[in-house]
Amino acid sequence: MSTEVSRADLLRPLHTTTKQYWLLFVAALVVTLVFVYAYSLQLRHGLIVTGLADWGSGGGVTWGIYVGGFVWWVGIAHGGIILSAAVRLFKMERYTPVARLAELLTIGALSMAGLFIVIHLGRPDRVVTSIIAAYPETVHTSPLVWDVTVITLYFVLTGTYLLLTLRHDIHQLRGQLPDRLDPVYTLLTVGYTESEDRVSQRLVWWLALGIIILAPLLLHGGVIPWLFALLPSMPGWYGAVQGPQFLTIALTSAIGSVLVLALAFRKAYGWEHIITDDVFRGLGLWLGLFAMLFLWLQLQQVITGVFAAPIDVDQATAAKLNDPIYWVAIFGVILALAYLAAQALQPHVFSLYGTVAAGILVVTATLIEKTFFVVEGLMYPSFGLYASVPGEYTPSWVELSAVAGSLAMVVIFFLIVAKVIPVVELHAIEGEVES
Amino acid sequence: MSDRKPGVPVSPYDEDELRELLEETDYDTELGMELARDAQRLVAGELSEEVFHDRYHEAIVDEFGVDERPLETIAAAFEAEHTDPTGFFERLESGEHSRRDVMKVGGAAAGALAIGAWGTAEQARQDGQSMASGDNPNQDGTRWGMVIDLDRCDGCLGCVKACREENHWERGANWMYVMRYEDDSRSSGEDYLVRPCMHCSNAPCEKVCPVTARHTRDDGLVLTDYDICIGCRYCQVACPYGVNYFQWGEPAVPQEELDPNHTHDGRDRWVDSRPPKGTMGKCTMCPTRQDGLLGEDKVGTVACMDMCDEMGMRAIHFGDLNDPDSRPNRYLRQRREQETGRRPGHDTTADDFMQTSTKEQDISTFRLLEHMGTEPNVIYVGNQPGPNAEQVDGPVSYEAQGSVDRRKDVLDDGADADQRPWVYAEGGDDE
Ligand code: SF4
Ligand code: SF4
Ligand code: SF4
Repeated sequence: MSTEVSRADLLRPLHTTTKQYWLLFVAALVVTLVFVYAYSLQLRHGLIVTGLADWGSGGGVTWGIYVGGFVWWVGIAHGGIILSAAVRLFKMERYTPVARLAELLTIGALSMAGLFIVIHLGRPDRVVTSIIAAYPETVHTSPLVWDVTVITLYFVLTGTYLLLTLRHDIHQLRGQLPDRLDPVYTLLTVGYTESEDRVSQRLVWWLALGIIILAPLLLHGGVIPWLFALLPSMPGWYGAVQGPQFLTIALTSAIGSVLVLALAFRKAYGWEHIITDDVFRGLGLWLGLFAMLFLWLQLQQVITGVFAAPIDVDQATAAKLNDPIYWVAIFGVILALAYLAAQALQPHVFSLYGTVAAGILVVTATLIEKTFFVVEGLMYPSFGLYASVPGEYTPSWVELSAVAGSLAMVVIFFLIVAKVIPVVELHAIEGEVES
Repeated sequence: MSDRKPGVPVSPYDEDELRELLEETDYDTELGMELARDAQRLVAGELSEEVFHDRYHEAIVDEFGVDERPLETIAAAFEAEHTDPTGFFERLESGEHSRRDVMKVGGAAAGALAIGAWGTAEQARQDGQSMASGDNPNQDGTRWGMVIDLDRCDGCLGCVKACREENHWERGANWMYVMRYEDDSRSSGEDYLVRPCMHCSNAPCEKVCPVTARHTRDDGLVLTDYDICIGCRYCQVACPYGVNYFQWGEPAVPQEELDPNHTHDGRDRWVDSRPPKGTMGKCTMCPTRQDGLLGEDKVGTVACMDMCDEMGMRAIHFGDLNDPDSRPNRYLRQRREQETGRRPGHDTTADDFMQTSTKEQDISTFRLLEHMGTEPNVIYVGNQPGPNAEQVDGPVSYEAQGSVDRRKDVLDDGADADQRPWVYAEGGDDE
């Protein structure tokens, strides 16, 4: 294929805008506005507009889908960056076409995770002042502060990472980029010289190494599960397995989301030759592997929870196993795994849409599982003497609109970004930088 | 444990009762009370013997017709009470004073002893240093806490009501919660658990708070700074007891209607009364009372205890757990003496009770979920709910006391109203 043709392909999103684009944009905007309205209600009246309540004598649960959504988005974000770092570090060049999509997804998803923390709070106006003022002390003790710290760190890391690889591309493609966005490109490439490529390549490699080491150990295998796993008050949360369990959720939901994104861009811009079937096939395999690990760790929890567990753990596990919502999540993953496994054994079973459907299934199942985990944990506390324990929880439309709104905002984010920068790296079609 | 309530006599450590006692004698009640208080201060070294003598000698001679410096006798006996648990009256008698003299000053002497025993919190705090016997490592400074005698509770919910009237929390945000429960493993049908915040010495709620809004004061009270709290509800999730109640909507009692002396404590931090919208509330153990902002007479008291006393139940005993002479510590000793016939050492505190290795000979005391390592500062006397205990309806409903048991019912109404904002336009309000 000729380089020039491919470059034009790559830049197609920046130059052509279809009717479907605008339809999607408007739809996403409407959903976002519904959420904005719902949140304005919450700001005015307080968290009473949610389905949350006090646990214990109060008969409710105090953390719900906001926390579930937070954990879910963080998972997608962290999985996204791990995927892209793996591409750079282990030279898994097959996936280079989706590396930048994964990075962008990380930025978008991290923003949504931050948003969910803020809307979860009773006094969002104080979040910056109160947290900073107490930081030197709380960083030693509060898992929530660890989360905020690590998420900020990752936001900066991912941003740097993305910028470094972007500068090269923008410089190379400058002539073909839309003129009206010139100021943006000037800003993005400020101080760029071609000699920087070598240095930034090294830097990107080191950043990738840092991410690969830190992300699994510290992030979704660390501070995020520790938010729950360190609290003996809730037996459904407590325990060492949550680290690896959360990590499998991060990886599966990230791969699932990347599959969806990749298909959307491939369809919209006719990128069959850029994001090939091969990419989907490979991602499907990884998704299957991590889905299997997810199920295996669920099994660990169930077995230890039913065999000879202490009373509180036993009750929490029994309640979980009797809840259809849990099985919806588990069977969702089992179904996806069954299809992906068949595909691995019999390559002819592969289908593009089937793989993406498996991805969507897993992403949905993990959102359900995570919210269920948060809520069910609070329904079965160690101290269950209260008549109103287990509590009840049904998310209100305000809360559900936040989930829909966050999805819509990520869609808008991609719709806009696709008009500004190439969402597939130049390397993906041209190989490494020629020196 | 089946012959519960009737078998338990009323605690003697109450100022009102002492007053009644003195009123029954022929002597001047006020003088007796005054004398008793100053005797305590004398022992604490706050009052010189000269001043004490000058202040009372005359009056005593007039009143009791005794010319033999009975004051010093009382003071000496009182002081001895702190070093030697031998009976107070025996000690008085063994001196050079006749039984007649002793009997004559008996009213005042009883007053001195009882006041000392009752040990107002104010004195306890001021006397902290001189009172504490140096060999107990726990006894440095004040550590507010409670002894709650579950055998004395009859589920009237007076404490719940009193706390709500004092702190104005929303219906259902039961800072004080009393539950009746049944336990398979026991036959007796009337078990109660009285559940304020435990003001844990190792409070997980404080540990997890991302902004140090949840904090522990020097005197052990675990409080929320309403000016700092961001409403993340992590404290509520980490507390194993479920004592936290969030302010989900606009408070029913507006800020202007709260007594400013009852919102900010002695450090001028906003920690008392119901929380503002979007922050976390729970039982505070009444810090503005402890800091004297609601009057000296309220120091060392809490609203729930006052009401419990008023109802004649005297199940709640609030005070400084580090002070052997505080009401809760005195109560525990008295309770053990009643139950076992053995008199515990005069400086035995709640901590010693929890550590004793001869539990089976003692009264049943426990801390809730002690295995969680929270080091709660509420000590219960009575039955401990087993793992399969279940709450049942109590004799008095929360509605009857102006609250509601299951708060979610109230909150759901509010949530519905908010989800249909046009209802709000018509002036609907939450709760
Ligand atoms: S009882 Fe709960 S809220 Fe109270 S101090 Fe202990 S952990 Fe904190
Ligand atoms: S709700 Fe308030 S007091 Fe509780 S942990 Fe969050 S910031 Fe701290
Ligand atoms: S100590 Fe004070 S705040 Fe706590 S339950 Fe009693 S009255 Fe209420």
